[in-house]
Amino acid sequence: MDGVAQLQKQLVDYTASLFQEGFLDEQFNQLQQLQDESNPDFVVEVVSLFFEDSERLLNELAKALEQKTIDFRKVDAHVHQFKGSSSSIGAQRVQKVCIAFRNYCEEQNIEGCLKCLQQVKHEYSLVKSKLETLFKIEKQLIAAGGSIPT
Amino acid sequence: MADETHPGSCECSPTRSTPMGTPLRKVLDRISGFATPWRSSSALRGRRIFHRDVEREEFQYAATRCLSSYYSVFVARLAIMVMLAILIGLLTILTWHFTKIYTTKSLNSLAYGLRNELLQRPILRMWNILNSTSEITTAQVKLSEYVFRRYNKPDTQAEQVELYESMRDVTWALFASRKALNAITINYRNGFVQAFHRDHRSNNTFYIYSDLVNYSISASGSSYEINSLSSQQGWKDQSIHGNISAVWYQEPLDPITGEKTGKAKPIPPDDLINIAGLSEVPDGVASWHVAVSKYTDTPLLSAALPVWDPSNESIVAVVGVTTALYSVGQLMKELVEVHSGHIYLTSQEGYLLATSTNAPLLRNSTQGPKLMRAIDSDDEVIQMGATWLQRAYGNNFSQSHEVHAENARLGHEQYYIDSFFLKLKRLPLVGVIIIPRKNIMGKVDERAFKTLVILISASLCILFIGCICILILTNGVSKEMKLRAELISHLDARRRAEASSNYKSQFLANMSHELRTPMAAVIGLLDILICDDCLTNEQYATVTQIRKCSTALLRLLNNILDLSKVESGKLVLEDAEFDLGRELEGLVDMFSVQCINHNVETVLDLSDNMPKLVRGDSARVVQIFANLISNSLKFTSSGHVIIRGWCENSSSSIDIEKFPLDHKKSQPAHKIKFKQQGSHTKKACKKENKMILRFEVDDTGCGIDPSKWESVFESFEQADPSTTRTHGGTGLGLCIVRTLVNKMGGEIKVAKKDGPGTLMQLYLLLNAPADGTEQHYRVDFSKHSLVVLLALHGRMGRLIMSQWLHKSGVFTMEASEWNELTQILREFFCIRRSARNNGFDAQHSLSEPLNTQVLSIQDMRNPVFVIVVDIGLLDLSTDIWKEQINFLDIYFGKAKFAWMLNHDTSNAIKMELRRKGHILMVNMPLYKAKMIHILEAVIKERNVELQKKSSNALRTTKESNLHEYHEIDTTHFDVASSDDSDMPEMRSSNSICGSLDGEKRRERITKPCSSGYQNINNCLVELTRVYSKENYLTERDPCQVGHNSHDVQNEEPKCCTQASLSAEPQSENADCREQHLVSSCPTAQGNLYSSKAMNEQKSLEGLRILLAEDTPVLQRVATIMLEKMGATVIAVGDGLQAVDALNCKLSAEACERDCVCEDRNTRLQTENRDFPLYDLILMDCQMPKMDGYEATKIIRKSEAGTGLHTPIVALTAHAMSSDEAKCLEVGMDAYLTKPINYKLMVSTILSLTTRTAYVKRELTNQ
Repeated sequence: MDGVAQLQKQLVDYTASLFQEGFLDEQFNQLQQLQDESNPDFVVEVVSLFFEDSERLLNELAKALEQKTIDFRKVDAHVHQFKGSSSSIGAQRVQKVCIAFRNYCEEQNIEGCLKCLQQVKHEYSLVKSKLETLFKIEKQLIAAGGSIPT
Repeated sequence: MADETHPGSCECSPTRSTPMGTPLRKVLDRISGFATPWRSSSALRGRRIFHRDVEREEFQYAATRCLSSYYSVFVARLAIMVMLAILIGLLTILTWHFTKIYTTKSLNSLAYGLRNELLQRPILRMWNILNSTSEITTAQVKLSEYVFRRYNKPDTQAEQVELYESMRDVTWALFASRKALNAITINYRNGFVQAFHRDHRSNNTFYIYSDLVNYSISASGSSYEINSLSSQQGWKDQSIHGNISAVWYQEPLDPITGEKTGKAKPIPPDDLINIAGLSEVPDGVASWHVAVSKYTDTPLLSAALPVWDPSNESIVAVVGVTTALYSVGQLMKELVEVHSGHIYLTSQEGYLLATSTNAPLLRNSTQGPKLMRAIDSDDEVIQMGATWLQRAYGNNFSQSHEVHAENARLGHEQYYIDSFFLKLKRLPLVGVIIIPRKNIMGKVDERAFKTLVILISASLCILFIGCICILILTNGVSKEMKLRAELISHLDARRRAEASSNYKSQFLANMSHELRTPMAAVIGLLDILICDDCLTNEQYATVTQIRKCSTALLRLLNNILDLSKVESGKLVLEDAEFDLGRELEGLVDMFSVQCINHNVETVLDLSDNMPKLVRGDSARVVQIFANLISNSLKFTSSGHVIIRGWCENSSSSIDIEKFPLDHKKSQPAHKIKFKQQGSHTKKACKKENKMILRFEVDDTGCGIDPSKWESVFESFEQADPSTTRTHGGTGLGLCIVRTLVNKMGGEIKVAKKDGPGTLMQLYLLLNAPADGTEQHYRVDFSKHSLVVLLALHGRMGRLIMSQWLHKSGVFTMEASEWNELTQILREFFCIRRSARNNGFDAQHSLSEPLNTQVLSIQDMRNPVFVIVVDIGLLDLSTDIWKEQINFLDIYFGKAKFAWMLNHDTSNAIKMELRRKGHILMVNMPLYKAKMIHILEAVIKERNVELQKKSSNALRTTKESNLHEYHEIDTTHFDVASSDDSDMPEMRSSNSICGSLDGEKRRERITKPCSSGYQNINNCLVELTRVYSKENYLTERDPCQVGHNSHDVQNEEPKCCTQASLSAEPQSENADCREQHLVSSCPTAQGNLYSSKAMNEQKSLEGLRILLAEDTPVLQRVATIMLEKMGATVIAVGDGLQAVDALNCKLSAEACERDCVCEDRNTRLQTENRDFPLYDLILMDCQMPKMDGYEATKIIRKSEAGTGLHTPIVALTAHAMSSDEAKCLEVGMDAYLTKPINYKLMVSTILSLTTRTAYVKRELTNQ
């Protein structure tokens, strides 16, 4: 059971680091609380939904910003959606960048938007890798027969 | 003169410019000052605005502006005045100058001429005198020469005498011809003297001659031969000596004839007259000199000429002529008399010769009279004139010098002095004329002075008046300026005030809304807390108190929100069909609870012509009346509150006919006025299918002072400020009422009322229902031959009810107290019995009015008696009521009893009544709909009775039991449905209320349950068709019994009903997953939901929620959250789907019954299609295809006709209030921000699904 305990510790530490570094916030905790026997994979499900949605949105955004005449309304709507979904899973840093992004959108600042898009992409990939790591550890833990500490 | 004025005017401008200099400087100061205050004030302003000290700053600003405008006006005035002064001064000076200068010049030249003339004349006279003197002298000389030639060389005495004689004659002739002559003298060589002398004073003429005796011819002859020089010397000596020694004789003569008139008398020589001697003519030419005489007071002018002998070698005699200058003086006097002034003549040496005055010209000295100098003259003027001339020009007059002085000041007066030099041989003369300036220029000077004075005074007057005019004119201008400045500042202030009021109302709207949401949460949480079992009694009481306070606060917030909504024009009235009568009945029911506590009777008196259904905003109409009624109740401590209503749509004759009796009596005047007012609106309304509904709320409270009739409708205004303490309230109620009424196209006012209290009159403009069929309350019971005995406590209610019943063809009798009731009953039934037995004879004991009634009743065949008894008639304080009920038992079989219960009537009484078989029980107050229900029940019962005469007694009672339930629940149904929008909340609150402790909240349970019962009631009707009646009753019986064993209090039939009903659907729902919901069955009570956690976990149990959210992540999260709390969630991706989901609920229902049938409410829903499919919609605001706002609008529009109102909660990432306002504007009820806060969401949903129900309950509890 040493491995399990180690894994558990690793998981707790990792989660704590994610919170500390500001990748995640309280909302993620709420998500975890919502997960129970009836929805055992709720968090994974939601997060993967988020990934799918985010990738789609990022593509759309990239496409929209490549256009010669940029439809800022459309960009704004996308960012808004992105912001909503990221805040729902508690991806705090993505959400913050989204807020800045929207401000640039309102100003119709193309350079700012492009910069923000890069930032968003960066933050998104960061949070994605972090979450994937987290889930990997969880999976390992469950595979090892341990329970996820709450 | 001209010289004088110019310096004057020149002087004028500098003197004026000095006072003008100061205003000029002031103006400059002002101008520069203008800029500085403005600049400084604006700077100040900018600074001060941060201090929010706007008012004070405003004040200062206005003050400086005022001051500056005042200054500018002042300066303008001053400038105009100065200009006017200059103008008028110049005019004056010019006028004066021209008039003065020209007259002066012309007068001067005239005066000069005059003076010249005046002077010329005496001089001419003088000249004449001189001339004539010289002429006479010459003539005398010539004659003498002639005589001498004739008597050349007289040798004898005789010849000598002859010569003298002829000389005398010749001389006389000359003397007589010249009257002006004073004397002619001839002095012969030998010393003989002949002279004629005329004394002007005595008018005597004398001949003076020397004694001839002394003169020898020889002597004289010898003397002739002496050479000229020596002889002259000798002549002279001799004459002098001879004369002294000689004796002269004076002979008076007749002045005309020359004849001797008297004796000659001797006189001393040279005594009388001066005889010119040889000495006078030393060089043999004529000589002139001025002489004085002893006997005349005037100077004499004497001339002397020598008479040469024919050989012209020697002088033989000297002729002297003396003329008096008297005549010159005379002339001068005459002249001066006419012209005034003084004239005088002097010799060159300055001796006076003649003056125009009477002053003496001679001075008496020791040596006889001497000539006087002009300077020494006795006449003052002449003296002064001479002095002046001497001073000015010295003693020496040059020959041609003429003096013309115009302004010689002598003494105190000014004179003209002119002098002429008259050049005569040996006697140069100087003539001087002195004329007072006054005489010539006096008038002119006076006039000039007067003119000047008049001009100056006139110009001063004009200046003064001008200044005043300017003052007045500029005053007007300055006033206008001031007013304009004030106006501008007022406009400014008004704009600011309007803006601030706008901000205020917006702020209020936002604020109250912001406050409302947490308030709703507070109330919801309090309700949850109240449901908790663990509370002690004290805690429970406290929490209840908090809840009451919160509700009051919420109501206040709602009021403010309503008001600001209306003020900002955001309020949109719904247009839905509703039953106005039922709404009002519900209101009256609600308020009657309060009324009974207050000992006030609430009476609803709706005219029969009131339409049953109208279109409008039911909630707002109810709000209007709720406010009015609560207001009336607040101020009425005893008496009644009557709500009258009638429709104006029908013709006036019907109107009056149907009008309640007492109203017709007391208010005809108002009604007419009302009609006139609304007459034109009425016309307009008819076209648009609108109708005018008139209402009156009449109370017997403290009333409103007529002066406050208008102002009570202002916000925060109360008729009497002191009432706030006693009655509370914010003063917003009536304001809301008026704005709402106005919004509905109506009007409200306080009307005059006889007697105490207030009468509010209002009319509303409501649409008639679309289908056009008008349903009225009009019913006719006449064919049922009913007799109603109204034994009611309240007078007004009884009166109105009996009138209405009478109209509907029902016979009525009235009793207001127990004794009256018993009397009527006893007499009536006794008589009836006796009448049946003994015919009509036994009616004698009846009172007269009853008598006639009884008579008519007896005409009816088989009448049905209904006795409506107010429970208040019984004596409830003691146990007498039991006996009273027992007493009524006698009549039980003969009449139907309907009991009017108070809300606080104790269960014991109800039980007792029930035991006795009185099953018709309704709550106070009694209004038409209830009465109709009672009567219909009675009629139905009678029909049943008639049909089932063969049935056994038990059956009958059971049957009547059913009716009882029907009756009671009808009343509750009214309450529950009084607000259609309450329906879903009521129903959904079932689940919560089901968890409430029945004992504690009995009152609360009753209503929701009964409303639920209403739904099931329909179901029961269906059931009765399916199952046999027997079946149904038996099924219910055990339930009731079982329930009774549990709880004594719950023996009350209402709870029993609830139990049975709850059991019913449950039993049919075999696959009901949530077994604990059986909680509504009392047996399960208290066992479940005891833990608070559980309660919260599943707090949304049973709710169906539609979630419209496009973000899949959020959709999933929210779904899980809601499902965790027990709600059923249907998620859609956008607004369009949400609308579709709502629209096709009917088709959805079918499938939902299969898939979501675990919800126990589904059954109820399927049974009552009026209920919305979803209890709540969570709506994201930003969604593709159709956003939340749009979707909400569509949903609200589709709901408009149905009276449904599904709560919609916005989900938005915008946390700003403007978004919230937008959400609310489109018709959403609340909003939540993303990310979703779990607790907030729960409380919001709870408050929305239960709020209205709570408020209602709260009112009832009061």
